[in-house]
Amino acid sequence: MKTKTVELVASPKAPHFVGDGFRVHNFIPSGFRLDMQRMNPFIMLDYNSSYHFPPSHKPKGVGVHPHRGFETVTIAYKGKVAHHDSSGGGGVIEEGDVQWMTAASGVLHKEYHEEEWSKTGGDFQMVQLWVNLPKKDKMSAPKYQAIKNEAINRFLLENNAGQIEVIAGEYKGIKGAASTFTPLHMLNAKLNKGGKATFHFPANYNTVLLIVEGSILINGNEKAPTDHLALMATDGENFEIEAIDDAIVLVLSGEPIDEPIAAHGPFVMNTKEELMEAFNDFNNGKFGYLED
Amino acid sequence: MNTFNLKMFLTSNLDIDEKDILSIVDNCTIKRVKKNEFLLQKNEHCKHTFFVEKGLLRQYSIDEKGKEHILSFAPENWFVTDRESAYFNRPSAYYIQALEESQVAMIDENFIQLLAKKIPSFTDFNNKLLHNHILHLQNRINLLLSAAAEDRYLQFVKMYPDILLRVPQTMIASYLGITPESLSRVRKELAHKNFKE
Repeated sequence: MKTKTVELVASPKAPHFVGDGFRVHNFIPSGFRLDMQRMNPFIMLDYNSSYHFPPSHKPKGVGVHPHRGFETVTIAYKGKVAHHDSSGGGGVIEEGDVQWMTAASGVLHKEYHEEEWSKTGGDFQMVQLWVNLPKKDKMSAPKYQAIKNEAINRFLLENNAGQIEVIAGEYKGIKGAASTFTPLHMLNAKLNKGGKATFHFPANYNTVLLIVEGSILINGNEKAPTDHLALMATDGENFEIEAIDDAIVLVLSGEPIDEPIAAHGPFVMNTKEELMEAFNDFNNGKFGYLED
Repeated sequence: MNTFNLKMFLTSNLDIDEKDILSIVDNCTIKRVKKNEFLLQKNEHCKHTFFVEKGLLRQYSIDEKGKEHILSFAPENWFVTDRESAYFNRPSAYYIQALEESQVAMIDENFIQLLAKKIPSFTDFNNKLLHNHILHLQNRINLLLSAAAEDRYLQFVKMYPDILLRVPQTMIASYLGITPESLSRVRKELAHKNFKE
């Protein structure tokens, strides 16, 4: 078993607003080492680092928009988000919760700061991730997995090092709450200062660590500070992280989907023709209707 | 977002020497504009044709009541200009504004005239572009006079497949000459017809 080394520690890029409610640093897709093909199945990662939103009577957020061909995963660290979709579904994602929406053949949805939360304002910190679907599942029926924090299984680390929340996949025998279409692991490592955790993933799995809080040392030698993203190489299976101070690390590792990617805006398909079909279907109302 | 460039566009549409293409491209200024920035404002003299390499522009007018009317959108690979101002050298009645951070190639009007004299195949090409433009305008007038809101909308999305995702609904309604409420109704009815659970 070889060590999985650090390929790159990316600093957060200048933030931009998605709608008026999400102030994000985009990590994926960007550059030549964090592009969609290299990171597949994690084809988009927007990180809203902790940001204070002042009180607002009109909830801030993103209006109606479509998705097709992948899943969106929202991980709430601070703040609350309300969402609605064209199939009549909706809900509130609270601190610690995860919302896993399989857009697949297509949904329209909108996401806003939850109304009451918006009135008081506060610190807001979220990750939005797009998880690619294999060709055979891109046009399957849309579905939701609303995962409350208490439903997420945890692995308690030895020596009071902290705990690993298993959102999807597996960690040392503890199974994840979410079901996935291709093999992948999504973990929140919550480590106490000095705490260590080891990970073991197949060498070819695309793996990144997002440092949500605190800072860590990877494999005893590579430092990754807060709000940075460490890209792990595909050269080995094992790595270790150590919390320099109390830390939260989002660990993503997934089997690459070895299929072509054709992406434009909110659609991620395999061919250009499928993309054009997605635009046509959206324009012609085949995604349904949702009031803005 | 896709990026195109003028050289690519000319190479694939124009049958002339590489060096002539390069001389056209070299005579163009590439300008980067921020969202909401203007390339032309009312009463100015339009001196250029703008080719959109990246981003999205709109050409519009503002009436006496302050209401905006969108004549055209210009996404990647489109040309936009005020021909009335540029060719007839009159003060413009229009605004050309970036709706996204954009990159445009600015082709000087005098240079186009010069080129048309120098390279016969460029004249043909320019003629074709102009006739395309006339075709488009003619079609648009006819639709505005005769077609139902739904047909206008369907023609619009056929020509601009991704604009719906890039601009507010109010602008699309402005282009179609209908109220935002009517646009909402059209889209709702289409969804009702075409959405299968």
